[in-house]
Amino acid sequence: MPDARPGEAGKGAPSAATVKNRRDGTPRPARQSLFARIAYLWRTTTVRLTFLFILIFVIAAIVLLAFMAYQSSVVLQRQQGADIDREIRQFQRMEMQQGAQAMALAVQRFANRPGAGVYYLGDDLGHQLVGNITGLPDNVLSTDGFYTFSYDRGGALGAGQGGPPDSTGYAVARSVTLPSGLRLVVGRDVVERRGFSEIIFQGFAIGMLGIVLLSVVAGGLTANRVLKRIDSISGTSAKIMSGALSERVQVTKRHDEFDALATDLNAMLDRIEQLMVGLKEVTDNVAHDLKTPLTRLRNKAESALREGRTPEQLREALETTIAESDQLIRTFNALLMIARVEAGTPSGAFAETDISTVAEDVAELYQPVAEDAGLALITDVTPGISMMANRELVGQALVNLLENAIKYAGREDGDGKVVLSAGRTDGRIVISVADNGPGIPEGDREHAIERFVRLEKSRTEPGSGLGLSLVSAVARLHRGELRLEDNAPGLRAVLDLPSD
Amino acid sequence: MKILLVEDDREAASYLIQALDEVGHVTHHASDGETGYAMASGMDYDVMIIDRMLPRRDGLSIIESLRAEGDKTPVLILSALGEVDDRVTGLRAGGDDYLTKPYAFSELLARVEVLARRVSPSEAQTVYQVGDLTLERLSRKVERDGETILLQPREFRLLEYLMKHAGQVVTRTMLLENVWDYHFDPQTNVIDVHMSRLRSKIDKGHSSPLLHTIRGAGYMIRA
Repeated sequence: MPDARPGEAGKGAPSAATVKNRRDGTPRPARQSLFARIAYLWRTTTVRLTFLFILIFVIAAIVLLAFMAYQSSVVLQRQQGADIDREIRQFQRMEMQQGAQAMALAVQRFANRPGAGVYYLGDDLGHQLVGNITGLPDNVLSTDGFYTFSYDRGGALGAGQGGPPDSTGYAVARSVTLPSGLRLVVGRDVVERRGFSEIIFQGFAIGMLGIVLLSVVAGGLTANRVLKRIDSISGTSAKIMSGALSERVQVTKRHDEFDALATDLNAMLDRIEQLMVGLKEVTDNVAHDLKTPLTRLRNKAESALREGRTPEQLREALETTIAESDQLIRTFNALLMIARVEAGTPSGAFAETDISTVAEDVAELYQPVAEDAGLALITDVTPGISMMANRELVGQALVNLLENAIKYAGREDGDGKVVLSAGRTDGRIVISVADNGPGIPEGDREHAIERFVRLEKSRTEPGSGLGLSLVSAVARLHRGELRLEDNAPGLRAVLDLPSD
Repeated sequence: MKILLVEDDREAASYLIQALDEVGHVTHHASDGETGYAMASGMDYDVMIIDRMLPRRDGLSIIESLRAEGDKTPVLILSALGEVDDRVTGLRAGGDDYLTKPYAFSELLARVEVLARRVSPSEAQTVYQVGDLTLERLSRKVERDGETILLQPREFRLLEYLMKHAGQVVTRTMLLENVWDYHFDPQTNVIDVHMSRLRSKIDKGHSSPLLHTIRGAGYMIRA
């Protein structure tokens, strides 16, 4: 139970703890008084919803039960009315066929039966002849109709009533004038029926009480359980916010919606952590890869100042300085571009792009470069492949792949070739640049896509080491991926993009 | 040539003014957007160089206002924002060319000079002539000294662009932008390779070369 701690709280620490918690804004104070816990519970959606449901449920139950009680009393009443009318018809028929005397005897016989039956037979002057009730109101004795009235029980002439004498009864009855002029009142005592209503009402009240108690307990338990899960999630996020990035939300084995939420949150946290680690790596790499040329630049300028004597020497030093700074700018631009591509460029730059044309254009642009490098550049492009894409970025990606291939695919035997192909495979657009050069060992391929990675043997070549990272970022921007595969021999870089 | 420079970085501005002065251009300078706009609408310039992010009024809004008033002076936008989208918004606002910071002065100069001598499409010639080299744009025929030269479609466009700007320096990025329609900075010497192929078709066997490499800047075709 969450409020199992007030014992500890009662020893003086609580107010300090609460104040501290409020000050640094921790969302769920761990130590709190029972009152604070209840107040907190009352603010929560779960508890409020639970109470709302209880309220709705109770109202619905009351309406339902009231309707049932009313219906059953109506049915009972109708039943009694039918019984009364049947008996009256019976007496009327008897009077007509066998005479008033026989009828009066029959009434008396009925009146003497134990039960709820109420009978009265009197003359037109109001004198009672037979029956088991007295003290009827005057209007019942003077006018035909259906009445509800109280009467004296057991005061009947020669009555064998079950009830205690002189007690007051309550009856529904029909009063009729018989053809002979006699007044007949036939009815039913309704005290019994009242009792029935009372029983229904009592049952209803007890039931209601039970329902309310049960739902409060059940609601409280549910709310508490839900809140525990939520508290656990917000506790974890508080820890993460305070810097513990490797904390994760607990996932139970119940596979409920909280576990789904927790799994998603954890996936998000993984991604964030991955980005943070990536960011740190990039910062480190930027520091290294930008500082190294910056240092070289500075050294060049200094040594030119110190040693430069002839104008030619000075000029040469300055030109190297400019070339170095151009390389720096290039690296910097590539970094910015990757960052912007990874952040997702605005969709405005996306348009229906003929990928085949882009591939052909880039191949044409690099054809002479490849030839000069002693490589055959072969294109195998299916015409008419188009997709929603950023033409500039796809072009840049292909340029990077081609430059890479041309830079590293050179072979001693002069038989090197680079194949640029583009086609559709299983509803995807696959663009690849394959060479038959030395390739990249399997273990290094994943690594090669990372920023600033220039595999050891290429350290001496010019380049920022960002080429493949940019290609990979462009692929991700187009919801695809960059794969490096073994071309046996050589390297095959595959840009795998969804076509829609 | 009379140039208006609207640039808030004073050091960059004074460097540019001096460098432009050295090649014979007169430059007026405004260091914020409002002043720049006032100067632009008050005087005639051959070219305006406008920084995109300026105090008091941003560069694009100046260009939009000038264009709305019917001012057709060529504008080169300078910006630290270099993405394709930024370029597109810049040109849509009425800019004629877009240069990303940091830039080489030779690049800026080449672009400014090309802008200043820009020809409207209606005045565009159908035949370009440089020395004994002629290029007919409609029939796509190239001749030098009466001899027909066969060019690949891209080589034709390359030569066409160079001859359109005969006597002016065109940079490698300008060529990549205008002939190939890509706006990136190629890492290898891809343009040089194409130029050397074109040169071998145009100049080989002729005593006076027409295609010239301008050191540290780009290329130029002239007789």
